[in-house]
Amino acid sequence: MSIEQVVFFVLGFVVLASALTVAASKNLVRSIFMFFVTLFALAGLYVFALADFVAITQIVIYVGGVLVLMLFAFMLTNKEVLNNLQKSDGRFISFRKLPALLVSALFLLILVNVIIKARPDSLAWIQASAQNANVIQATDNMVPNIGVGLMTRYLLPFEAVSIFLMMALIGAAHLARKEEHKF
Amino acid sequence: MNTTVPHTDILTIQLAIAAVLLPFVACLLNLFLVKGQSKVSGWLSTLAILGSFVLSALVFSKVWNQPALHVQQLWFTVGTIPVNVGIWLNNLSVLMLLLVTAVALPVHIYSIAYLKGDDKYTRYFAYLGFFCFAMLALVIVDSLVLLYAFWELVGFASYLLIGFWFIREKAVLANKKAFIMNRIGDVGLLIGILLIYSHYHTFDLITLFGDHNILSSIPADKTWLTFTGICLLMGAIAKSAQFPLHTWLPDAMEGPTSVSALIHAATMVAAGIFLLGRVYPLFTPDVLTIIAVVGCFTAFMAATIALTQNDLKRILAYSTISQLGFMMLAMGVGAYSSALLHLAAHAFFKCLLFLSAGVIIHEMQHLKEKHNLDIDPQDINNMGGLGKFMPVTFITCIIASLSLIGFPLTSGCLSKDGIMVQAFLWADGKGWIYTLIPVTAVITSLLTIFYISRLLFKVFLGKPRITQPVEAHDGSLLFKAPMVFLALCSLFPLFSSNPFEYEQSWIYKGFAIAVHIVGSLDYHTIVLLSVNVLAIPIVFLTYRAYVKQKVSFKTGLLFKISYNEWHIDWFYHRIIVKGVLYVGAIVLWLDKNIFDGIIHLFANIGVIIGKLTAWTDKYIIDGLLAVLTSIIKQAGNFVRGFQTGRVQNYLLTMLLIIVVIYVLKTFI
Amino acid sequence: MSMLTYLLLIGAGLFCIGLYIVLVKRNAIQVLIGIELILNAAILNLVAFGKYDKLYNGGQTFALFAIVLAGAASAVALAIILNVYKQYKTIDPNAVDQLKD
Repeated sequence: MSIEQVVFFVLGFVVLASALTVAASKNLVRSIFMFFVTLFALAGLYVFALADFVAITQIVIYVGGVLVLMLFAFMLTNKEVLNNLQKSDGRFISFRKLPALLVSALFLLILVNVIIKARPDSLAWIQASAQNANVIQATDNMVPNIGVGLMTRYLLPFEAVSIFLMMALIGAAHLARKEEHKF
Repeated sequence: MNTTVPHTDILTIQLAIAAVLLPFVACLLNLFLVKGQSKVSGWLSTLAILGSFVLSALVFSKVWNQPALHVQQLWFTVGTIPVNVGIWLNNLSVLMLLLVTAVALPVHIYSIAYLKGDDKYTRYFAYLGFFCFAMLALVIVDSLVLLYAFWELVGFASYLLIGFWFIREKAVLANKKAFIMNRIGDVGLLIGILLIYSHYHTFDLITLFGDHNILSSIPADKTWLTFTGICLLMGAIAKSAQFPLHTWLPDAMEGPTSVSALIHAATMVAAGIFLLGRVYPLFTPDVLTIIAVVGCFTAFMAATIALTQNDLKRILAYSTISQLGFMMLAMGVGAYSSALLHLAAHAFFKCLLFLSAGVIIHEMQHLKEKHNLDIDPQDINNMGGLGKFMPVTFITCIIASLSLIGFPLTSGCLSKDGIMVQAFLWADGKGWIYTLIPVTAVITSLLTIFYISRLLFKVFLGKPRITQPVEAHDGSLLFKAPMVFLALCSLFPLFSSNPFEYEQSWIYKGFAIAVHIVGSLDYHTIVLLSVNVLAIPIVFLTYRAYVKQKVSFKTGLLFKISYNEWHIDWFYHRIIVKGVLYVGAIVLWLDKNIFDGIIHLFANIGVIIGKLTAWTDKYIIDGLLAVLTSIIKQAGNFVRGFQTGRVQNYLLTMLLIIVVIYVLKTFI
Repeated sequence: MSMLTYLLLIGAGLFCIGLYIVLVKRNAIQVLIGIELILNAAILNLVAFGKYDKLYNGGQTFALFAIVLAGAASAVALAIILNVYKQYKTIDPNAVDQLKD
């Protein structure tokens, strides 16, 4: 058990634990902040998967953008709503939540079953890439590769995403505009 | 009886038919052509009757004591039974023809004045003409079927005329009673006719009852013959108002007096005697005895009742019943010709008595209206001393009464003596029970004297019983002439040249058997003397009682029985009428509740089945449908429940399905 | 078990937790968080396999794209939630059941 493995397990545990807390907490603020923790821990995991650029991007966009946006949106909603929510959720193990719990558990079982059965390590293309030294090493710098790839191989998705972003921007701005008392 | 060799003399037959049809023509004209109150109707009818009378006289002269005339024609056949229509003119027919027209003529003349001012004047003469037609036709027909038909028509005419003033309740009740009682007798007559037919297979009167008739040639069972005779007798009893079917005649006095005179004194009631005369050969000695007993009893009973009655017309009605009893008695003892002689005599004097009663009542009615008295114009207790105001009426009435009593020099004497003498001869040597009959006849004669004198004295003599001054007078010529004519006919010259020998009467000779029976005693003189000698003290007694009012009679039990008409009417009403009505009520109850009940039951069953079907349809069939629809509805509602509108539920369902698919794919 | 498997398992776990949050939570924003979690699980998956593609770096690139798209989607979603709140005065997805039968 090297230190990397320990840190990896700790990060993995943090991700799952914070995700569970997000699921379990009744308070919205608490869940948002736990989500915050989850995102950070995920970024750490990305680093361990030798995708450092993605990790940074995750932090910048997800944590700095999406989460903040959520916080703002949450704050813009009425306080009464929050109060109502705090009363209505009930106990953790309530009958109402049972079907969802069941379904989630089953899904988990299914997924775990599939993953274990699939034995991703013995997949053909992974073994081929391992043989062809296609595996990213810890010492490799992937950022230029990503840059070049974006401009050459993945140009179309890149442009499409940018248009998409523009659409989203305009759309969200329009949707969230202030109504001038139209009845 | 004269010989009945059929001989067709067309002219005489035609005259006879014309005599019969003339009144009918007058009747039709009066009904349809003449207006309501026109005087023409009266003169028209009188003219018709006058014509009839003349023609009847002609026919009489041709046929009396000549060979009888007979024509016949086939009318219709019922299966194999032929029914003929024909005319038989023998002595009996032509005598009746002449008699009826002779009495109808004065009555018509009298009616012209009597019913003056009545609003149904024309109708009266129409009915009177119809009656004359029916009566005349009755006496000349030759078959039992036609006899029955005209018998019924005569009864019907009587019904119409009794209830002529039908606005009065009493008149309607009286005519109903008359018709019903006549019907009871007619049932007997019909049964008798049918019995005769069943045995002899013919309706023809000549074949049955003429000379050389088949009654003697075809043997018949004695009991059957007796029974047939009794049945035929029933018809005569009803028509001639004998006991027990006599109560209709006093009530029939509700009709106009001229009707009472013609129908209920002279002609229709004589039809019964006429019938007996026609079918006389049929009667066995037993039936004849019964006839005699019935006649005698009726005569006695009616005379006792007439003693105490106060209504003028009722006294005369009971007198008629009594005299008809005499005639029937005569028929029964074998005095066929005396009966017919008495019939003729009685027709005249009784008709006269009624006509004078009509005049008296007319005058009393005037008195009542003038002084506004509350009296019954027909009650003799209100009359008195009218003799000096109405001399003609008084004298004619006396003549009629003497004839009724049988006083010498009148026609009544001849006939009544004849009957009584022959009754004694009949009872001679038969045993003392049979002698009762002639003795009762004598007693009845004496009672007759009493009641008619009572009537005469109370009405005409003495002081007037009403306090107001009496002003009365004889009727006009139209009243007086008929009465005088009838009075003359009541005296002996019309009937016989010898006032004391009834055997000398031409009527008697026309019918009599040529054997002169000699009895053990000289009944002829005995009867004649005794009755007339006893008449004098009786008349004197009545005079003292009712004119001088020196003698009064006790009103004991016998008086009460007599006054209440022997309670016969009461008996009929209480027991028979009420009994029949009770039976009717029971049958009505039966019909309404049981027969209708059964039908209602069926109807109700139908209704119940209908309701049951409706219930089945509503709840079971519709119920099935409803259940079906509710199942579908519930299924729909259930499925609808899945569309909650909640996104998370949708997502949950989708995931469940994916899980299920995975499971199925992996493990199956 | 290699790191790849572990990463995949963590991804599976995140996915199911995200699913649970989406199914259960009564707050639309929390549902949004759940959706983000699911997206993050997918991105984790991409990154885990991307390690074995040095040549084209497909995994990581697509991970980038996914992050960007997730962000845009959440922005629009939040705008929608804002409008829903304005209309129904509540952000409880169970309360917005106008499409109920």
